[in-house]
Amino acid sequence: MAALVSVKDLVKIYATGTRALDGITLDFHRGEFIVLIGLSGSGKSTLLRCINRLVDPTSGTVIFDGTDITAAKGAELRRIRRRIGMIFQQFNLVKRSSVFTNVLAGRLGYRSTWRTFVGQPSRDDVALAFENLGRVGIIEKAFVRADALSGGQQQRVGIARALMQKPELMLADEPVASLDPATSHSVMKYLEEINKKDGITVICSLHFLSLARRYGTRVIALNGGRVAFDGLPADIDERRFKEIYGEDAVEVEIGLGRAETA
Amino acid sequence: MAEYFTSRGLPVPAELSRNPLVHWRRWLVILGTIAILYIGVRLADIDTSRANPEYFAGVLRQLFQPDWGVLWPQNEFETFWDGALGLMIVTIFLGIVATAIAVVIALPLSFLGARNIMAGNPLTNAIYVAIRLLFTILRSIDVLILVILALTLFGLGSASGILAIAIHTIGVIGKLYSEAIEGIDPGPAEAITATGANKLQVIWAAIVPQIVNPFISFTIYRLDTSVRLAPVIGLVGGGGIGQILFQNIQLLNYHASGTIIFLIIVTVAVMDFVSAQVRKKLV
Repeated sequence: MAALVSVKDLVKIYATGTRALDGITLDFHRGEFIVLIGLSGSGKSTLLRCINRLVDPTSGTVIFDGTDITAAKGAELRRIRRRIGMIFQQFNLVKRSSVFTNVLAGRLGYRSTWRTFVGQPSRDDVALAFENLGRVGIIEKAFVRADALSGGQQQRVGIARALMQKPELMLADEPVASLDPATSHSVMKYLEEINKKDGITVICSLHFLSLARRYGTRVIALNGGRVAFDGLPADIDERRFKEIYGEDAVEVEIGLGRAETA
Repeated sequence: MAEYFTSRGLPVPAELSRNPLVHWRRWLVILGTIAILYIGVRLADIDTSRANPEYFAGVLRQLFQPDWGVLWPQNEFETFWDGALGLMIVTIFLGIVATAIAVVIALPLSFLGARNIMAGNPLTNAIYVAIRLLFTILRSIDVLILVILALTLFGLGSASGILAIAIHTIGVIGKLYSEAIEGIDPGPAEAITATGANKLQVIWAAIVPQIVNPFISFTIYRLDTSVRLAPVIGLVGGGGIGQILFQNIQLLNYHASGTIIFLIIVTVAVMDFVSAQVRKKLV
């Protein structure tokens, strides 16, 4: 089976001289739930952002479903981005706007520029927005300002916004790092659901190995911009763990607590 | 403080061993300031020998004895709009129209003058630098000088006054707008870019909602300032209430002048209060 995303010899050196990615070669397949782990600064965020070109790689290629993203420009790049949803550690919602407006913004890639400024959103887009808000269980908050929501709720708005794109791939950049353990599981369960039910491939960076083991079908560890481990979650033993996180690291459990319902 | 280190046999940090009193930089600043003030007083040739306190006291007394008649038309040939009250209202609108013109021009320019929007390619970066330079130049020319320049185009009257205030306001408001755009949270813009939206859509969906309130706040603040500037504009021929204030001062008509000044002070105070209240609501 051809890979959905094929990363080859990817290198990213920032203007500051930081070598964030140091030759990454990986294939991501349809239906996988890939968890990226590694210390802060190991290159997880940069790798995710190179896939949808929020960051331009220095060299190497990223092929998405047969198209070279690293060579795409303008409208072609935007058409590829449309097929890749993304959620963020800080949720990145427009705080002053309503939840509904935020979710609807996920559809912008499908709208012409002038239709963005004038006219109403289409009936289909409105229906899709409510549908996705319903899926993440916050339809009753649709017309509340985004910053009035709790962190977990804001991340669910982020998921709903990304779902508006009807994506084939979902990138999640430490989606639960700003949330408490119970809320973390609630958000991860929604990601698990879109992975299993909708068949959306998920690439998610996480800090907690316990979450990686619980949700990932495959774990990739980065260390200093290189792949330090690529395999099944169950295969990360004490020795592997020390290789990824360093000799002084101790694994912390994040309990499978009560999922947030509010 | 040094005892803490000496008593424990630790090396004393260099910052503690330096005696601040004999530090030469401190003395340089003090002596430099005294020298500049001395040179200034000598060069300015401050001459107080012709002072006339009695005359001044007389003028002051007249200023505080208002002539309310000046508020209304002076003869059958004048209308309400020729009296001080009418001209005060005209002057307020002069400031409003000038601000409106400035906002319409500064609004699109401010996006081109925001670093976070224009960064990334040498051409847009050059536009950013040019726009910010333009704002700085417009801002640095005093309104009174702008009026005198505008007079050569439109002649005496409010057209010159409006142009002058508008140009100055573009410089001020453009900078404030641009800085507000630079101060936004970049997260939402990143998220909207990731959905496949183009640059204009990103600005519309992620940046505009973040800047609406600061923009309204800055605009009201400038409106307030423009209305305050408008009477001064009249002094050099830019129309409005300043013009009759200038006439009355030249005619040594201090009762009327005092009344007009009082009217201006009341108007500005009311504007100031209202603008502060509205802006407080917006934050």
